[in-house]
Amino acid sequence: MEILELIQSNLLTPIVLFFIFGIIAARIKSDLKIPDAISEFLPIYLLAAIGLHGGIEMRNTGFETMLVPMLVAIGLSLVFTLNHYQILRRIGKFNLFDSYALASTYGAVGAVTFSVGLSFLKNQGVTSEGYIAAILAVLEPVAFILAIFLTNMAVSKQIREKKESVGETQVASEIELGISETKTNLKQVLHESVTGKAIVILLGSIIIGYLIGEEGFSSISIVFDELFTGAIVIFLIEMGIIAGQRLDDIKKVGMFLVGFSILIPTFNGIIGVLVATLLGLSLGGAVMFGLLLASASFIAAPAVLRHAIPQAKPSLYITSALGITFPYNIIVLLPIMFMISTVLHNEGSIDLFYYISRGLL
Amino acid sequence: MKLYNVKLLTVTCEILAQKNVIKILSKHKITGYTTYEVDGNGARGLRGQGLKNEKNVKVEVIMQENTLQDVVEEIARTLFTNFAIVLYVSDVGVLRTEKFV
Repeated sequence: MEILELIQSNLLTPIVLFFIFGIIAARIKSDLKIPDAISEFLPIYLLAAIGLHGGIEMRNTGFETMLVPMLVAIGLSLVFTLNHYQILRRIGKFNLFDSYALASTYGAVGAVTFSVGLSFLKNQGVTSEGYIAAILAVLEPVAFILAIFLTNMAVSKQIREKKESVGETQVASEIELGISETKTNLKQVLHESVTGKAIVILLGSIIIGYLIGEEGFSSISIVFDELFTGAIVIFLIEMGIIAGQRLDDIKKVGMFLVGFSILIPTFNGIIGVLVATLLGLSLGGAVMFGLLLASASFIAAPAVLRHAIPQAKPSLYITSALGITFPYNIIVLLPIMFMISTVLHNEGSIDLFYYISRGLL
Repeated sequence: MKLYNVKLLTVTCEILAQKNVIKILSKHKITGYTTYEVDGNGARGLRGQGLKNEKNVKVEVIMQENTLQDVVEEIARTLFTNFAIVLYVSDVGVLRTEKFV
């Protein structure tokens, strides 16, 4: 089995080994910890590097090529979020708030997962389209906005129904207050997620990368290119420690959510690879596109959801995204998607449809 | 020197509730407060490990007793159910009572 071999060789990369090392360090209750300032700095650094690369490549390819993949990615993200909600609410029997929070966590994208994907491809000697960094930036708030909007709709509806059944004037005024509060809530969240540090640094770096081009980048490439994988390794020690501390919580989230956290990314990721291939993205580009849709957000999600849907339990969405989906994505799913993308790109277009029809059946 | 009696409100809460607390304060025309990041353990488990968003924060505010009632009531009503939060009030003495609404 080639896939098993690839997973095996992926296990022996520094990124994955240091992640596992972090988990072990947490399990043996070591006091090993990456200093706060560094673990806050590294995501900013990683996003800046991703943005710069994306911007430079967009200068070469132009904006038109990214329009269709971006719109398709947004569409898929929205459909997946709704799909997650239905699964969680109907089959998983989660309450409304937890369902929407989880659905959007899995509909959103993970910047750390994205960084790991880029260095995985680098390791395989494969490049990807630079504009996928721009898709990352645009996709980040989409799932949250949808989930928050739908939650507020549901809450307002509940409040209105209550209002009709009670019918008292004093209560009614309190209810109106509630409705207007949810509305301002949505506006605030929109503003917060768009001006959040992840999107700001990512978009800023894309623009700077676009402006400076290859020549301008050469003077800073030692920091933003050669140090990239090393920086991810340091960050993944921290991620490993946090994931390790949360391993006990996995028992609390329940078997259904564990299954959800593995099957949903697999499904979304493979659909992503297939769609990206159909759209004409390169081998590496299709893997990154799939990874965008497979990944779950665990740094941005709590910050957004805690304000927008405070009723949802953060232990559910953080534990499943960071403790289960993230390790699964970088260790198992990434090689699988790479394999699928390789097969798809090596075959002719007629065979491609054969694979797709087999995949769907 | 004469000390005037005012109230010190201390709110220990998860860092993501800090904004909500400060919004309530400013709604009651309170602009001065002190915050610092803290670790600890409580009903919602060990706090302050790992992700920055899971840290706790302590907010200290000095105010007059009549403002205090409204502020505490609003914090309790809007934040107690969904957030990791503890609040307590103590008596303190200040020199310049006009600084505190």
